[in-house]
Order: sequence, then structure tokens, then C-alpha cells
Amino acid sequence: MNEHVTAISKRRDETLGDALSRQGISRRAFLKYSAYLASIMALPPSAAKVMAEGLAKARRQAVIWLSFQECTGCTESLTRSFSPSLEDLIFDFISLDYHHTLQAASGEAAEAARRQSMEENKGKYIVIVDGSVPMADGGIYSMIAGQTNIDILAETVENAAAVIAVGTCAAFGGLPFANPNPTGAVPVSDLVKNKPVINIPGCPPIPEAMAGTIAHFLAFGKIPELDDLGRPRSFFGETIHDRCYRRPFYDRGMFAKSFDDEGAREGWCLYEVGCKGPVTYNACATLKWNGGVSFPIQSGHGCLGCSEPNFWDRGSFYKPLSASTAAPGKTIAAAAAAGAALGAGAAMLARSRRNAHLKKD
Amino acid sequence: MDLLDFARGPAIEFSLAVFVLGTIWRLAAVLLLPRRGDLSKAREGAPSRVSGAMGTVFRRMWPNKAFIHRTIFTTLNSYVFHLGLAIVVFGFVPHIQFIHGLFGVSWPGLPTNFIYGVGVITLVSLFAALARRLFHPVGRLLSGVSDYISWFMTAAPVLTGLLATSHLGARYETLLAIHILSVAAFFIWFPFGKLMHAFLFVFSRGATGARFSHRGVNV
Amino acid sequence: MSTAQATAPAFDSQGKLGNEERVEEAMHGFVREFGVTAALHMESCVRCGMCAEACHFYLATGEAKYTPVYKLEPFRKAYKREMGPFAPIYRLLNLASKVTIEELENWQELIYDSCTMCGRCTMVCPMGIDIAELVKEARHGMFRAGLIPERLALMDRTAKAWSSPATPAEDLPDIVEEIAEEHGVEIPCDLEKADYLVTVAPAELGDHTKALADAAKIMNKLGLSWTMHQEGFDASNIGFIDGDTDLQERLTRNIIDTAIKIGAHTVILPECGHAYGAARWEAARWYGHQLPVRIIHMTEFLAEVIGRGDLKVKPIGETGTFHDPCQMVRRGGLEAAPRIVMKALGIDLHELKDTGNLGFCCGGGGGVVSNQRATPLRYKVFEMKMRQVDDTGAKRFITSCGQCRITLDMGAKHFNWDKRPESLLEMVADNLAD
Repeated sequence: MNEHVTAISKRRDETLGDALSRQGISRRAFLKYSAYLASIMALPPSAAKVMAEGLAKARRQAVIWLSFQECTGCTESLTRSFSPSLEDLIFDFISLDYHHTLQAASGEAAEAARRQSMEENKGKYIVIVDGSVPMADGGIYSMIAGQTNIDILAETVENAAAVIAVGTCAAFGGLPFANPNPTGAVPVSDLVKNKPVINIPGCPPIPEAMAGTIAHFLAFGKIPELDDLGRPRSFFGETIHDRCYRRPFYDRGMFAKSFDDEGAREGWCLYEVGCKGPVTYNACATLKWNGGVSFPIQSGHGCLGCSEPNFWDRGSFYKPLSASTAAPGKTIAAAAAAGAALGAGAAMLARSRRNAHLKKD
Repeated sequence: MDLLDFARGPAIEFSLAVFVLGTIWRLAAVLLLPRRGDLSKAREGAPSRVSGAMGTVFRRMWPNKAFIHRTIFTTLNSYVFHLGLAIVVFGFVPHIQFIHGLFGVSWPGLPTNFIYGVGVITLVSLFAALARRLFHPVGRLLSGVSDYISWFMTAAPVLTGLLATSHLGARYETLLAIHILSVAAFFIWFPFGKLMHAFLFVFSRGATGARFSHRGVNV
Repeated sequence: MSTAQATAPAFDSQGKLGNEERVEEAMHGFVREFGVTAALHMESCVRCGMCAEACHFYLATGEAKYTPVYKLEPFRKAYKREMGPFAPIYRLLNLASKVTIEELENWQELIYDSCTMCGRCTMVCPMGIDIAELVKEARHGMFRAGLIPERLALMDRTAKAWSSPATPAEDLPDIVEEIAEEHGVEIPCDLEKADYLVTVAPAELGDHTKALADAAKIMNKLGLSWTMHQEGFDASNIGFIDGDTDLQERLTRNIIDTAIKIGAHTVILPECGHAYGAARWEAARWYGHQLPVRIIHMTEFLAEVIGRGDLKVKPIGETGTFHDPCQMVRRGGLEAAPRIVMKALGIDLHELKDTGNLGFCCGGGGGVVSNQRATPLRYKVFEMKMRQVDDTGAKRFITSCGQCRITLDMGAKHFNWDKRPESLLEMVADNLAD
């Protein structure tokens, strides 16, 4: 794949349309793909054609991919496809000028490539970040080529057109951000204030969400509509629960009580075993994974809520959503003891007031 | 920590602490007051104090037929929202899970759609109770701020629960958080207003039952 | 006494206490009442208003202020601020206001004129609150504050001097002799020893002397050892009604001590509801232990001697209906006794629509009959009773409480009703089998 990317990145002036036809993709197939993209992004049908035209005319987009405190899972997800697809081609089509895992260059050469791209595409390049940024102790917990992530991010986004935070770590801090957060990790949006930041959370995010967002940017030259957490509404507008194929079981009150009971085998709702679908905004239930094969709930496990902020710190994955995360046993015992003492005190006080009145006679 | 995390964690824990503290405080403060025993000789054949008390506790579940036609609205409406609350609180699976999480006990739940319907009926019934309080001269005369707070604290969880279930008005997690917070508010208010009748009615009826069964009267 | 201005609600006051002292005295009287039962009943009200639907004063007028539990408002405020579980906090932060003199004055009408303490509200309350008892307890504070209807205060003062609100104790032998002569019966008085001490209500030494004579007739026929006694003869106990606990105790002690002194094993109470409440159920509290004598209502006594076959009566064979005196039946437990007697008399009993424990009060209990201010209200209540009696189609209207009888009689005269209430005792006495 690396050679492929490098080879393609040389053809800077080619349009996407040219590139696709050179690879034998028919216009019909491309239109179909555009219609598909438009539909999963909930754009009106008329947008499909505009999108197709926009995409066909789009020039190579320079992309700088910064990897900070991350696990490479997001890259794995985004580059892994079952068969060569149009998404691959779109990824192929972009000029990925800097990416630790995918680029051929290393060391100083890699850093030079980043700076060169920044210079050549000033104001036009997209910065994609995966991973959170450690802030503690001056940012020393993650450094690349002697530079802290903080500095690299600041330097790179300065002249970027837009920033895409890919994965829950970049979008919301993710696992490094989890309590007690020893590295002082923060999400990208905490540091980038003067550029639009698109969050595509998920651990990892859905490939289509990534591709769709880039395609939208390429076709329309602007970022898609975002929700209050900076996520594209088209992919993160509805909860898993609302679109879950197991929803009818929820409505009928049919729940799996454990992962190996009758209900689990019958495919009933996983609410009671901790599914976070009702509060998780993502497209897993509709787009699914691995080319639409399945998604966690379909495979018998509740949603973890991985595309939501703080999903690690919200109690057990297996605790039902409505259950309190508090363990108030001790508090309640203390409150009961205090209540009994106060009540007895109040009664004694009342008794003594009453006796004072009785004595008065 | 977002609103839902706050609601599910600290808010519920705090509210339960206030609930337990206040309830025990109030019960202890009343039950530890001096008891004036009835020294008169009991009516021949009078039941024991305990069985006399229990008799009244059960008999007062329904008004005597001499009163029923004049109290039918309050009686039936009260039954509707009390039973409705019980069904919604103890029959809805997420609620059972909530109780299970706190106390480790659980039981089978009822279908969500059924609960939803009962919730709507309960809310209508609560509004009917409020209307009577506001518009019937006796209800209006007897009602103070505390009574309206108690009404609100009861109705709010029903309303917010219905909104959360039907995803109306805001995002589900926000609605769920508001719902849980409204329940926390209910727990906090409980010991300080008339909601305490949920515990007190047994003692209150029992005291009268014991007083009059001693005299040979089935009150 | 001091009459309020024309615009202010009617209330009477006694004594020369200042307003602040009156409030203080009322609190003093209220606070001492709050044992566990009164406190539970203060705590558990849900303000549902169902008690209104049981109260004859509310039903007769439709006025919300007659809602039974509303009559307790000052008492409730006192509880909340002085004795409730959170009272220390309420006082500290001044969250519960103090009872004011105006409230006490305004509530006099509700506590005295429009409550007979009949306890019908107690029967309907879904929380089982004994509202009638609480009103009685609230009266203890009102009495101390010198804020009771003047007519009751007058009776109180008289009873303090005479041991009866109508008859000086030392005049009893003479009066009894007159009655004995008038009705041609022997009435023993002031015997040193007797098995039964027979007591009366004030009317039996005044308007209803036949009732006393009839009691004597029955006692004599039974050949029992009995007497009346000037040291303890009036069982009506105005202190039980007006809130004067000291007087209640004294009047109770008069009777019990006298019974003990003459070696009586039984005190027979007259046909009087309040006498039954005061002597049968409350007397022991003044002694601190169970009484060594038996306290029995005249109707209960009749039911016993008739049931045992000691007293034989002739059947009357007429239709009749019975007014259940509240203190005797609903609050006393004697629902069966009068029915046993009426059955023996062969009365074809047509029960009122609301009967037994759920019967309506005559409207005059709890001192209301003596309180002329309450007369119009009493008549409204009487109309309800009159309608129910007429609906039975029964010929005779019977009761076994002298005070109910007076109240019903006044109502009957006012409305020119064709019926008059009759005494069950007199009916028995009139129909003794040879």
C-alpha cells in the first residue's frame, strides 16, 4: 500500500475523476457511490449529483496526519477494507504527505516532508489527528523528533484549512484521558481554537464516517454540519438504540439477562447487560462494520458507547444504563445512623419542652 | 463529568442519603414521643391492640360505602395514580435495574409500551388531582406551598420519564439525566412534605385502629 | 364579655389576659397534648379534603371552612413550630410562623361552633386521623387562652362552683325528693352503701325528670341496691367538652371517688354521650390505673338486664328508627346495645340511611347545643337528620342520649316537625311487663 500511496501522491494535478477513470471505475459506478455517500450522510437526493460533480473535479487534497497518544487502531480501521473499494480510492487520491504508519520516509526526512507540505499547501491542507495530546510536565510524555505533541500540533494547524480529530482519543481524550489521566491528556479541540475541528469519534471510528466527511469536504469545499460535540450530524445524529434491529425487543420488555441465557440466544435487547446504545450517537446500527457484516450488538455484545466522551469512566460496561453508578451503601448506612440520632434528639427535645409545659401547672 | 454522569452518580447518592436521613429522623422523632396508654378497661371481646390496629390499616384501603359516593373521584383518582406510579416504578425494566444496582434485588419487568401507556394515564391522573386541588374550594383551602411542591416532585419524574422514553424535547441522555435528577429531587423532598404518608399511614391508621378497637368500635 | 366589632367574626373571650399571654397559654395547652398518637395524626395528613365529605356542617352548608382538618390549623401550626421532628430547625430559621391571636380568635367558631367532635371525619380519613380527638385536644389550649364561647364558659364556671352546670350539689337531695314525689317512685339519695351509683345528666334534674324517675323505676323493679349521691351525681362533664382539663378531672373524680366511697361496684351513666366518653374511656387516665369500679351506660345496662332476662318488657309492635349518639356509638362502641333493647321492645327498626358508626350527629354535641351562636348552623344540620328520619317512614324516632334529644327536640320545634325524639330508657320504663 505504501508504494501505491507514494506513487499516486506524485500526480498532484490529476482530478479525482481522472484518477478513477484511469483505474477503470465507470462514471456510473462513481455516480452510484456518490449517491450512496449522499444517502448515508442524509443529504437530499439532488446533492448526489452535485457531490459527484464536485468530487470528480476535486484536485488532490494535501493531508497531514498527526499521530499522538494513540494505539493505531484508528488507522487500522480506516485502511482495512475487505475489497478494494471506492473509499480506498478516495484515500488513495488524497495526498497523504505525512503519516507515521503509512509513509515511506522516516526520521528527519519525514519531518521535512511535513514541513514541505505545510509550505506548499499553506491554508489549504487538512490536518487529521488521532490520539490525545499529553499536557502534563510540559508535554514530555509524547514527543516526536524532539518536539512535544503540543508544539507539533500548534505548528501544524497554524495554516491548515481544517482539522479532523479521528477517534475518541483525539476527539474527547479517550483512554489516555481516563481517570486518573497521568499524562494530562486533552482532546484536540481543547488546543485548537481558531480552526474548525471536526470530531469523528469511535474506538475506532467507522470508515464510512471518515470517508464521507473527507468526500464532503472535497466535493463542497466546506465542513459538514456538526453537532454540539463537533461530530458530523450525518453520522452521529441518531443513537444506536433508535436504529437498533433489537429495538422491538426493548419495546416489548424482552431482555437478555446474561450473555448465555435464552434471551441472549434469541437475540433480545441487551439493555440489562449494560448496552449503552440509548446514549451513544453513532451509525454502527445502520452502516455496521467490515463492509456491513455486523456490529457489536449484532454479534451479541452491548454497545460500549465508545464514540461518546468519557466512556471509560462511566461505570461498568455491563451495568445497565439506568443503574446508578454510585455505591451508596456506606453513605446510606451513615445517613440512617445520623437520621436516627437526629430523630431521637428531636424527640428528646420535644419531650423536654412538653415536660416544661406540664411542670408549669 | 456530564449531566448524566452527575445524575447517575453523586446526585442519586446524595438524594438517597437525604431520603434515608430525613425519613428516619422524622419517624424516630414522632415515634419516640411519649405514649399515653389507654388505662380504661377494654370492651369485652375487644381484639388485641395490634390486631385492632391492623384491621384499620386494611379497612382504610377503601372508604366505607356511606362515604363512597361523595369521595369517589378522590378515591378512584388516588388509586389510579398510586397504582400507576407503582406499576411504572416497579415494572419498568430500567427501574428494576436501577433498584437491582442499589439493593441487589430484581424481578421480571413489564413491556415498555405498556409502561408507557400506564405512565401517560398516571400523569393525566396527577393533573386531575392538581386540578381538584386548584379548583375545588376544599382542596384550595387546604393546600399550601408544601402540597404543591409534593405534587410537582411526584409529577416531574413521570413527565420527564415519559419524555425520555419518547425522546421528546432534547437528546435522550439529557432527558435521562433530567429524569434521574427529578427522581433525586423527589427523594430529597420526600421526608419533608406529605409524601411521608407512604410510611406514616400505617402508624396513623394503626393508632386510631388501636384506640377504637379497644372500645369495641371497628373504625 | 368583650364582643368583637360588627365586621370581625364572632368570638368570645374570658379573663383579663393580654393577647400575648393568651397565645402563650394556648401554646401551653396545645404542646402538652402532643404524645405519639396526636403527633402521628398531625404528620400524616395529605390534605385530600375527604373529611369535609363526612362532616355534617360542611354537607349542610357547602362551606369549605367547615372542612374538619382545617379546624385544626392553629393546632397544626403550634405542632409544627413547637413539637414536630423539624421544629428546632423551623424555630431556628423561623420557617414556621407562630400562631397569632387573630388566628385563635377566628378559629373559635371552627373549633367550638361548628364541630361536635362526633368523629364522623375520623371514619372517612384515608390516613385514619382521629380529627375529632385532635379538636378536643385543641380545645384544651383554647380554654387556657380564655377563648371559648361564653355560654360554655358560663357552664364551666357554674360547674366549678356546683359540680354541675345546672344544679348545686347540696340541693340534690331536695330536687330528687321532688322528682320522686312528682313521679311516684322511690329515689334513694346519699346512701352510705350501695352496689350501684346512678348518675344523671343536667336535663334529668330539669326538663327530663321523667328519665330519672324511669331509671329509678327500673332499678327498683330489679330490686338492686342503688343510690344517687350529692358528691357525685352529674356525669355530663362540661370539662370534657369545653377544654377545661382540670375541671374534667375534678368532675370525673367526684363520681369515681364517690362510687369507691360507698362501695359501689358499678356506676350507671345516664343516657348521655359525653358522660360515656368522659367516664367510660377517659376516667382512668386521671387515676393512673384501671378503675376499681365498672362504668356502664344506661342503654348498655338495659341491654344486659333484658338480655339476662332480669327485666321483662312488653312488645310495642311499632315501626321506629334510631339516632345513634356519636359518643356512645361511633366513639364508644355501643352500637349493638340499643338495638338489643329495641328488639326486646318489639320495635320494627327501620335504620336511617346513615346509621350506627356512620350515623350523622344531632348537631348539638360537643357543647354546640348550649352555644346559642351556633343555632342557625345547628338547624341546617337538623334538616339533614329530619330528612333521613322521614325517609325511613318509621313512626317513632328513638335515641338514647339526653343531649341529642334536646338538640333534636329544638330542631323539631323550629321546623314544626310532626315527630319528637323519644328516650329509649323512657320507652323501656313505659313498657315494663308487670
